[in-house]
Amino acid sequence: MSDARSVFDPELRGALAVVGGVFPPTITPELIGFMRQSYASAPRAQLLAGRAIDIVDFVIPGPAGEMDASMISPTDAQRDSGAVYLLHSGGMMFGDRFSGLDDALDWVLDLGIKVVTIEYRLAPEHPHPAPFDDCYVGLVWMVEHAGALGILPGRIVVGGASAGGGLAAAVTLAARDRKGPAIRGQLLDYPMLDDRPTPSTGMFDGIGVWDRVSNETGWAALLGDAAEVSPYAAPARAKDLGGLPPAFIDVGAAEIFRDESVDYARRIWAAGGEAELHVWPGAFHACDIFAPHAGVSRRMIAARREWLRRMLVD
Amino acid sequence: MQELLGRLTALDPAASQSLRVIACFDELIAGDVGVHGLLSAAAALSGRPVGLIRGRVVTRIDPRGEPLESSLPPAHVHRVFDDVAVWIEDAADDTTDLDAIILERLALALLIRLDTKRTSTVPPRDMSVLLDRSTPGIDRREVAARLGLAANGRFRVVAAPLFATWTHHPRGPEDVVATPFGPVHAAVVAIDATPVASPLGIGSIAAIDDIDRSFRTAMIALRLHGGSSDGPSRADDLGGLAEMLADLPDDRREDGDQAAVELVTLHKWGASTIDALVRAGSLREAARIAGVHHSTMTDRTEIITATLGFDPMSGIGRTRLGLAFLRWRLRTSRVLEFTPAS
Repeated sequence: MSDARSVFDPELRGALAVVGGVFPPTITPELIGFMRQSYASAPRAQLLAGRAIDIVDFVIPGPAGEMDASMISPTDAQRDSGAVYLLHSGGMMFGDRFSGLDDALDWVLDLGIKVVTIEYRLAPEHPHPAPFDDCYVGLVWMVEHAGALGILPGRIVVGGASAGGGLAAAVTLAARDRKGPAIRGQLLDYPMLDDRPTPSTGMFDGIGVWDRVSNETGWAALLGDAAEVSPYAAPARAKDLGGLPPAFIDVGAAEIFRDESVDYARRIWAAGGEAELHVWPGAFHACDIFAPHAGVSRRMIAARREWLRRMLVD
Repeated sequence: MQELLGRLTALDPAASQSLRVIACFDELIAGDVGVHGLLSAAAALSGRPVGLIRGRVVTRIDPRGEPLESSLPPAHVHRVFDDVAVWIEDAADDTTDLDAIILERLALALLIRLDTKRTSTVPPRDMSVLLDRSTPGIDRREVAARLGLAANGRFRVVAAPLFATWTHHPRGPEDVVATPFGPVHAAVVAIDATPVASPLGIGSIAAIDDIDRSFRTAMIALRLHGGSSDGPSRADDLGGLAEMLADLPDDRREDGDQAAVELVTLHKWGASTIDALVRAGSLREAARIAGVHHSTMTDRTEIITATLGFDPMSGIGRTRLGLAFLRWRLRTSRVLEFTPAS
């Protein structure tokens, strides 16, 4: 019997010996509580690690009461700059607005941009449309207050990883449909786009990070018992991917979101849009978060940063 | 990764960080990862920059895998071979145990990677040799002696996933051992020891010459473990069956009985009903175990009988169903994937 984990890059196989204890491959509903504990972000001082970064907290009006939000900026930022409206990962069920944001803190330092992140409501307590509504309302608030926040309104990228990538794609679709805020680009890191099975969703059972069962757990939590699936819940369901801002899509070749990510890019191209697609060999889901030291993760991080530089700084 | 190791300890204070470091480097060595990747992993695991000196050339890598400017090595370095040495920077007053293990594993990996003149390969670790079925008896006895196991003693091997939660850690030699199902935490313990981990497989009793068989039965017991809330799973409970299952090749094709069991398990009630039938002496008792009405159990058993093509409650049919069900459970076992600290 060949080892199923041989699909992964050898450096990442080493990392899985550590990651597996924090982020199990297979997340069932019973594990949601454990994941909320283990995927919670580190204390702020540890996050910042002495970097010259400021975090300002806001309470903003949400669709169902107040929402926590934060803006991360370079210490003593003097000028208005571009910004990323960043939606956190966590399968729609866990994580907080600082989970998996280590790379984003480096954008702030290296690119001199700002990052705005919000505490959207989580499933299963709050199924669709609650997380999406929160994210859309947060974007509108950010754009309306761009001047006060020191953000250039024409230079806002909507982004996110995994569940956050799905939410970013949904918010971008809604901004188009509702003639909402102008978005410079959409940054979709290994996004959770499609509630329907694809060939790659069933290929990595029980290995890596985020397998078919985890995905089913996430979608069941988000969709609840809805009869129809809205494209704002599962953006792959959108009939039309035309008229969208440029997309950056990156995904691992060894993860379940591979095929839906590739298909989203293909459909954007078919509709005449712009998409930069990277499929990283041997990469498991979110390897850049769990193993940023590995070669393939570093290439992934560098390509993403270069695109952000072009979108927001150049 | 250092942060992840720290989180693991916070979630499960008994978590064995050193085993995870060893498993990590085992994978890097097996994957033939290059010098930069090895240094990056060591830096990521320790959370601090790691340095390498080869002759006069110094390489330094930070915990995110980025190269740092060259600088002089510190006074104390860990020698790899000849004029090659490694170190972890900015160590606290005392080098921690974990740092020592990281450096030792890094040095071994670099030795394998860099010492091209070396004619012999680095020997596998004692525990792997001890538990490998193909090890000649004389070699097995030699590594057993090195591991401090009495030549005429009898032992059990226990097996747990790397991420098991230990509540009673056994005394005895232990290590990470590669298996077709991924790396496993294996330990050799006294026959009256009471190791407790969740999940854990406890192998049959064996003398040194047969200790590999105890490991294989421990793996069978582990893979049959019911889940994180159950106590240890014991090969003794299956007796000769555990030994027979342990001797089946992992890639053996599914037979007709197993295929039929698979079909039955497509029913929501399938697996729990077969489980009840296998344990019970009668349909009435099976109904009680499964917590369903007698007539429901009768209906389900009729479906099962039709699917199997034989009566699962009589004669050799009981054995056929029991064995096919055990093999189905082994094939679909997910116990090695992960168990969160409760």
